[in-house]
Amino acid sequence: MRKAVVLLPMVLALVLSCSRDGKAAASAGAEGPYPLSIMVMTISGEPMGDDSPVKKYIEEYTNTSLDIIWVPNTTYEDKMNITFASGDLPTIMVAPKKTSSVINAARNGAFWDITDYLKDYPNLSKANPQVLNNISIDGRVYGVYRARELGRNGISFRRDWLDRVGLDTPETIDDFYQMLRAFTYGDPDGNGKDDTYGMTVTKWTGPWDVMKMWFGAPNEWGEDSTGNLVADFETREYMDALKFFRKLYKEGLVNEDFAMMESSKWQEPYLSGKAGVVVDVADFSTTLQGEFETKLGFEEIVWDVVGSVEGDKGLHNLPFAGGYNGMLVITKNGAKTEEDMKKALAFLDKMNDYEMQIAMMYGLEGVHYTFDENGFYDVSTDKAVKAQYDSAAQMGMGIQGDFRYDPDQPIDRDELVLKRNAVYKSNLDIVVGDPCASFTSDTYAKKGAQLDKIIEDARVQFVVGLIDEAGFNDAVKQWRSQGGDDIKGEYNALYKQYK
Amino acid sequence: MSENDYCGHFPIGVSMATMSTAIETIDPMDLKTESGKRRIARMKKEKSLYILMIPGILYFVIFKYLPMWGLTIAFQNFQPILGFLKSEWVGMENFRDFFSSPDFFMIFRNTLVLSLLNIIFYFPMPIVLALLLNEVRQAAFKRAIQTIVYIPHFISIVVVASLTYVLFTTAGGAVNILMERLTGETINFLGSPRWFRPLIIGQTIWKETGYGTIIFLAALAGVDQNLYEAAAIDGAGRFKQLIHITLPSIANVIVILLILRMGQVLDNGFEQIFLMTNALNRNVAEVFNTYVYTVGITQGAFSYSTAVGLFKSVIGVILVLGTNGIAKKFGHSGLY
Repeated sequence: MRKAVVLLPMVLALVLSCSRDGKAAASAGAEGPYPLSIMVMTISGEPMGDDSPVKKYIEEYTNTSLDIIWVPNTTYEDKMNITFASGDLPTIMVAPKKTSSVINAARNGAFWDITDYLKDYPNLSKANPQVLNNISIDGRVYGVYRARELGRNGISFRRDWLDRVGLDTPETIDDFYQMLRAFTYGDPDGNGKDDTYGMTVTKWTGPWDVMKMWFGAPNEWGEDSTGNLVADFETREYMDALKFFRKLYKEGLVNEDFAMMESSKWQEPYLSGKAGVVVDVADFSTTLQGEFETKLGFEEIVWDVVGSVEGDKGLHNLPFAGGYNGMLVITKNGAKTEEDMKKALAFLDKMNDYEMQIAMMYGLEGVHYTFDENGFYDVSTDKAVKAQYDSAAQMGMGIQGDFRYDPDQPIDRDELVLKRNAVYKSNLDIVVGDPCASFTSDTYAKKGAQLDKIIEDARVQFVVGLIDEAGFNDAVKQWRSQGGDDIKGEYNALYKQYK
Repeated sequence: MSENDYCGHFPIGVSMATMSTAIETIDPMDLKTESGKRRIARMKKEKSLYILMIPGILYFVIFKYLPMWGLTIAFQNFQPILGFLKSEWVGMENFRDFFSSPDFFMIFRNTLVLSLLNIIFYFPMPIVLALLLNEVRQAAFKRAIQTIVYIPHFISIVVVASLTYVLFTTAGGAVNILMERLTGETINFLGSPRWFRPLIIGQTIWKETGYGTIIFLAALAGVDQNLYEAAAIDGAGRFKQLIHITLPSIANVIVILLILRMGQVLDNGFEQIFLMTNALNRNVAEVFNTYVYTVGITQGAFSYSTAVGLFKSVIGVILVLGTNGIAKKFGHSGLY
């Protein structure tokens, strides 16, 4: 009976796809605002509503009438797959990753190939070719990427704790380890109780991925001594990293329940003063500092940030998702003709204008922000006011760079923000690219997610001591026999072709 | 889904029971031998009954039979964008992929083990509780207990999973604090393959036992009181009465519910298992329903997951038919 869960949407899809054709005529209006539906994710429960003045401003500026479909970030991929199956696609939607369904959809002609159109638009023509290469599928570009700082990953830590235990800013992996130990056993909060630990990790595997880079492991794929690509978890360096993680876990330097912990609860141990280090995006430091100030009433800056720590193989870091976080694709179902597609592209282009970026980030002058006596943005902290542009930035792309990092912009920059921006910048020299980012493997498209899970689960099991090195190697063998070897072959062929 | 399903088969059980009594009033042989003309005449006479049936039939056609066409995508390489008609037909490839995948054995084993544990540990619970309640002589007390034990059924499984997390986590969970005080050690209940099944069965027992008693209490209410009197006169104590009168009287209901449950042997609840799964216990936690979800919805492999779901359903039908046949052999009335 439960397969109805899967089947029902498909049947609905059939019914809906039959009834849809009559709808297209509505978009024929010549000069009026062009109707656009757009599906994006929201990380808050209350995204920008239809009566928001910010939305009206965006519509006026771009001469569109927007139907924004907000989808909670945590279920976005599920919703996207069901939307594909429904056959009733919005004009524009976020494709968050190059998953098998996105690749298949692109190959089957669900999205417009915009490779040759980008040059006609003032903002889009300035897109970074490297990132375009990363988002391409079979060498073609199907969307406009949402730009993110490439050097965004870093280590955020409690500066006041570090001072109290008498350590210096960590520079090597061993410094990092000593910091975690001191935070766990050295009473960093000075309350005389053994109630702290080093670092919080959650179900989400991001922090482990960042830390493995410190040990010199490749980013997803790397060359072995013969010049062939191997998966990162097949390397010696990866095993070194795993053993390090295992040591951290065994000594109680990370939370024992990390494999069960939802990432939505990630901030809690920091806010309750239980943990003092987080390995993730460097802006975790500024976010937490902000929370400490608004929720806990801290006045001084207690958080600090560094980019990476050095291991035997030098100083490395993981680039943030190839410099982008998903792309906005234009669907053929939503934009029926080339004309429609061009209008949608024009909308995306305009959304990259400076005025639109400001509106999505800060709302409207006089309503959502004013300028203070120093000429800095003074953003209203009123929840109801903020809700009027909440999550709007998810529609933003920032093709021309994020104006918030432009030093000439009137944004209040305290010491920590400047430090964080410096981390972004210095990371650019030490990030290691994924050589296969732009390649498409058929096997990976088919069963990549299952294969990834084998390794991810084995990694967690190794860290908590459920399996040993031989057990992990068995998982790698399993990965290889179930399709990993095929993926490797496909990537190697492409790699030699393009090298 | 699990709650709906549970509510779902409750009325079926009832309607089956009423149907079988209704049919007994007409000799089934009459229906088989009557001529076409007579049948039409009879149908005309009972027109209003047939009209009353229409909404029910429509419900089954629209919501149960039409969606079954979707099963054909199990034999396709279904691409949502190409749709139903243009997707490529691949025959049995999806089934071959599934049966040859190492996941198959793991999922099959996990599903079966969980279901069997459920039948062994959970299934008798409502019967035992119903029997206990039945022996309570004070009506007010009995009713109060009944109401209290129903409550957990109405708590969302999401809340139950969160409660379990809060109670059992190693980071300050009550159970582990107690364990530490008593033994000096903590147990990672939530993140160990060994504890996954006990937790799931425990949750089910906690949540559904009370509600499960309803149907048995109804059956118990129907037992002829004269039998007890006669037994008492013959010198049977309360326990003997239970063994020789109460249990045989409700045996039919137990058998029917067991048959219905057999159909769901490959159908463990989805949310409950999904909520309790993590990287450390996935080896024992992945079952058909979670697998279909992960592969179908999350990864977009619609065809493959439909094939898995179809396989599961076929096994379910075989189990229902099989159990029904066995029940009949042993002299119970079975489902039909």
